[in-house]
Parts: sequence; structure tokens; C-alpha cells
Amino acid sequence: MTSTAKKSQAAPMRVLSYAGALLETMDAGLADHPNAFIMGQGVDDFKGIFGSTTGLADKYGAARVFDVPLMEEGMTGIAIGAALVGDYPITTHIRADFSFLAMNQIINLASKYSYMFGGIMRCPMLIRIVVGRSWGQGAQHSQSPQATFAHYPGLTVVMPSSSQAILDMYPQIINRHPGPVLSIEHRLLYNLDFSVSTSDRPIPLTSYVAREGSDVTVVATSVMVLEAMRAAEYVHKTAGIETEVIDLNSISHPDWDLVAASVRKTGRLVIADTSWLEYGVAGEVCRQLVMRDPRLLRASPTMLGMAPAPCPTAKSLEDIYYPSQHETVDAILTQARGANHGIALPVERSMTEGYKRFKGPF
Amino acid sequence: MTLGAGSSDLTAVDELYRRLFRASLLIRLVEERIIGLYPSDRIQSPVHLSIGQEAVAVGVCDALRPDDLVFATYRSHGFYIAKGGPLDAMFAELYGRVGGLSKGKAGSMHLSAPDVGLMGSSAVVASSIPHAVGAAMSFKRRGSSRAAIAVFGDGATEEGVYHESLNFAAVMKVPVLFICEDNGLAVHSHRAVRQSYSLPQHAAAFGIASRRLDEGWDMLAVRQATLEALEKVRAGEPFLLEIATARYKEHVGVGEDFHFGYRAQADIDAWKARDPLLTDQRLLEELRPEIEREIERAVAFAEKSAAPGRSELLTDVI
Repeated sequence: MTSTAKKSQAAPMRVLSYAGALLETMDAGLADHPNAFIMGQGVDDFKGIFGSTTGLADKYGAARVFDVPLMEEGMTGIAIGAALVGDYPITTHIRADFSFLAMNQIINLASKYSYMFGGIMRCPMLIRIVVGRSWGQGAQHSQSPQATFAHYPGLTVVMPSSSQAILDMYPQIINRHPGPVLSIEHRLLYNLDFSVSTSDRPIPLTSYVAREGSDVTVVATSVMVLEAMRAAEYVHKTAGIETEVIDLNSISHPDWDLVAASVRKTGRLVIADTSWLEYGVAGEVCRQLVMRDPRLLRASPTMLGMAPAPCPTAKSLEDIYYPSQHETVDAILTQARGANHGIALPVERSMTEGYKRFKGPF
Repeated sequence: MTLGAGSSDLTAVDELYRRLFRASLLIRLVEERIIGLYPSDRIQSPVHLSIGQEAVAVGVCDALRPDDLVFATYRSHGFYIAKGGPLDAMFAELYGRVGGLSKGKAGSMHLSAPDVGLMGSSAVVASSIPHAVGAAMSFKRRGSSRAAIAVFGDGATEEGVYHESLNFAAVMKVPVLFICEDNGLAVHSHRAVRQSYSLPQHAAAFGIASRRLDEGWDMLAVRQATLEALEKVRAGEPFLLEIATARYKEHVGVGEDFHFGYRAQADIDAWKARDPLLTDQRLLEELRPEIEREIERAVAFAEKSAAPGRSELLTDVI
């Protein structure tokens, strides 16, 4: 996946999986920052958080990469304490749902310490949480809590959608960001391969244009960026419709000017989020646009997100619970040509070839 | 402080007692000044007074090295002062003025003075306990001999994160000292209706050594118990020190609350009968004028300090 934020033609490309990018940035973080450490359930085991920490305990020692008891709140509090004395803690939750057990420390403490103490206390740290999807993840292994966490000032929330986003953003976070960052990674992306390069214009800790276009704007998050890119390619080939895809990328600090400029250009908007629409990213995108200029849109926007129910385990229900490729394409076509666009939808309803290859277990 | 030998012992003990007494009296008179100021509404935020519990903060902090860190609670005027937090900045903080260390954004419940090792006070019960464990883990990894101190009330031990913190500290063997200020009350609830365990036995289940000190009014005893505990902590074992104490005032606010009938005046009277700040009138009267002048200078500093303006509203968010 090549983004327009990465136009450096001379940079050599290579192929790297999402998990591989995570492993490289974790390794670099430990190498560059002598007081960085990684803790979480299973970070030092043979699976290494789906391959994102594998081998690091051997390389850096048990004092810097270590397993913890089952204690999400305690672990996060311990990370805060270490951060307050100059460490850079990286914590992991193999499912985002478990981070809810740490919300007291994340919301009441880490997110507050800089402001509450007038800038004399800081706890820079990275909290990595992984969203599950498909293959029967069910109600408690599938939640995507970006809106929940981004609601609270003091916390930076990002959702890397590619290996490049990880390679570019994680060093900025680990080496320079002054406060706590919650990164919402997506399990479906872990095994996907991406083309990556080094660039003098890395993806910033905010939104960027992933694909330029003039007819319809799609604002997407995480795995829905990939879905949007595939849909954009399909409508380009079948109908000559040019879709602009914006990876919101940072949920707490999006580049709203960038989003507004795109919508000013296209007048047509699809929002494709990985979570529920109610009180979520979709609503915030609309709020930001309406507050800037209520005449930006030429039609009502289309919203894609999870159905307003807990996630079902049964495959037949799960397949219709998430927005499909079918619906993503239809949303763009409807925006560009109206509901009676008459253009054939792709045969494939759900997910990429990469997802199809994925059979679990997680 | 180590005591000298022979005939100088008595002098050294006297000097130690005098130092601890002065620190305790400073805390008490500061809080009595807060009580006096409160009706004026210059301090527009909740205050949780330490009056009655001063000996714990003073005894513990006097035993610490300057580079040891204390992670405390919303009832931490005592620990802030005992650890050496600046008095003028404290009053400015309570006043909500820029002269406070946190420019008025923290107030009474979130006092901190990291330069002297008071690493933030949290108003969510038990939430700073794991912070001390995390700092201690960092000290251990760096080969430092510093210790981290978690200060909390007896009610905090009912929270899940207390148990998580003890377990992790024991598994990792980090230099953390858990200090439980046992005033027997969680707001208005007595310990007997809240707890099915004895704290030392509970700690023992994690393999953590502990001691209960019933003489929480005795600054010298608290100091000595802390010194002994720190020897074990610096040798690499977490330790729990449970210190009985007494909260003279209401949970939050500056008043008395005996007339509500949930606790007996007699219980507190028994503590007061042993409270050096009430029994040693000679030393109190000797030290009081100089301490009151110090407090008045701090109050005057707060009065003159500016209120934070709009430019402060959105600073230091990230």
C-alpha cells in the first residue's frame, strides 16, 4: 500500500508485514532508549504478541521485556510509576477489551498527570491494544474503543492502518511524544504484507491523504482504510469515479483542516469506522465539518460501522455485523451517482484475500 | 540520623524529638490556618485534613533519604510538608494561584513536589499504590539504592489494585515500602464492616514481611519502624508497615463530625491524650511563634500570587 504521504520516489521499497513492522519498532525503541521496557501478558513467550515482540526478551533481557501477572490496572499503574522516574514503558493488551480493566489508570491517572500537576509530572508511555475481528471473536474480543479513549483530553489515540504507519509513527511516539499514547492495532492487519519505504516525510501523528481523488471523500480508520482503498480502486476501474481516502490515523488529534479541505473539494462523504457509529468517530467527523461550514456537503454522508449490538459469534451474523467490501463500494457509488447508480458491485462481499487466508486461531 | 555515643545521646535524642515535633507542629498549624481561612472562601476546593495523623507523615519522611520517593493520596498535606514541599507554593496551590507548584491546577487533593520526592497525590483511592511499585522496579533495574514509598489508607487495601501491587512487588522483589495509614475509617465506614482480613496476614500470603505499629501518635516510634523497614526494602524485599492513627476531623472539610453519631468522641479523646502536639505544651509554645510567622509568610505569598489566566486553560494537556 503506497500512500501519497510517501512520495519519496528514490526511497527503496521493501515488503514488511504489520507484525514485522511492530517488531522492528519495538526492537528499535529498546535499542534507542536505554530506559524503555515492554511488559504485558505473554510478551516474552513463543507467540510474542502475534509476533510483535518475539525474541526481544532474549535480546534485551528479562528486566526490559517481561511477562506480568493478570493485572491490567496494576500493570498500567506500574508503567505510570516507572514513567514518572524517567522510564519509557510499553504495555500490551492482546485484546482491546482487556484495556477496560486498566481504564482507571489510563483515564484517571495517565491522561491527567501532565495537566493536573501543571506540567511538572509527565508520564510518556505507549499502550498497545489489539482489536479482534472475525473467526468468532464474539462480544468481548472484538471491541474497538477509539471513541471511548479519544473522548478524554490528555490521551493521544492512534490507529495505525499499515506497516508504514507503524514504522513512521512509533519512533515519533517512543522517542519524542511527551505524554501517554494509546495505539489501537488491528489483529486482521498483523499478517498482511505491505510495501514500505523510508521517507523524509513520515506519516505524522495525525490524519493524511492515503489516496487522492476528486469525486468522493472517504474518511476511514484502521482496517477500514484498506477496505476503502480497495473500494476506491474498484470504482475507479468500473466507473471512473475518483475517491479520496483519508486515513484519520489519529483519533484524538485528527487533521480536521485536511478533512474539511477534501470534503470542500468533493462535497461527498463516506465515513468508514471500525466501531459503532453512536457517539463515535462518525459523529465527530460530522461535528467538525458542520462547525466549520454547514454547506460543505452536497448530500447526506454515508456511515459505515459495526451494527448497534454486541458482536455475535455465529459466522452468519458476524458476516453482516461488519461493513463489507460490498457496502463500502455501494456507499461510494451512491455518493457519486445516487442510490440508483446501476453499477455492479464486486462479487466479493467481505474482506481481502489476506483475511480469507487467515483461519485463526488468534 | 544516627545517635551518637555516650553522654551526647541525650542531646541527640532531644534534637531528634525536637525536629520531629517541629515538623508535626508545622503540619498541624498549617492545617489550623486552613481551617481559619476556609470560611473566607479563599480556598475553593475540598480539603482532607491530616490533623491527628501528622506523626505518621513526619516519622516516615524523616527516615527517608532525600532521593526516596513518596506516592501519596488526597489526604497529603502532611506528607507534602514532611517531605520538604515548599510552604508558600502549597498555600498558593490551595488558593488556586499560579504561585503553586502546579499553578493552581492541582489544589489540595493533588499536591506534588517532585523536586523533593513527593510524586503526586491522587484522589482516586488506591490508584497511586502501583506507581510506587513501578518506580521501585525502575530503581532496581538501574541498580539504585533508592526506595519508593506507597502511602494509602486502610480503605485502599480493599481495592483490587492494592492486591495486584503487592503480588507484583513480591514476584519482582522491588524496593517498595507500603505504608498503610490505618485511621479505621473509609469516609464514615468502620473497618470491621469492610474487611475480612488482617493486613499483615494478607501480606504474608504474598510472602511480604510486615509490621503493625499501634503507637501511631509517636513520631519517634514511627521513624524507627520505618528505618527498620527500609533496611529490608533496600536489601530488595517489599515491606508493609501498618500504622494505627486517628483522623480528628471530618473526612473532607474543616469541621468536626462527632455529632453525626457514626463514631465516638471518646475514641479520638484517647488518641488526643497521647498526642505530643497536645501534651507537650512547653515545646509547642516555644516553637509556635516562629512557625506561625513562617505560615503567615506563605499565606501572604498566596494572597499576592496571581490567579491563572485564560492562557493557562489549555497548557500541559498532552
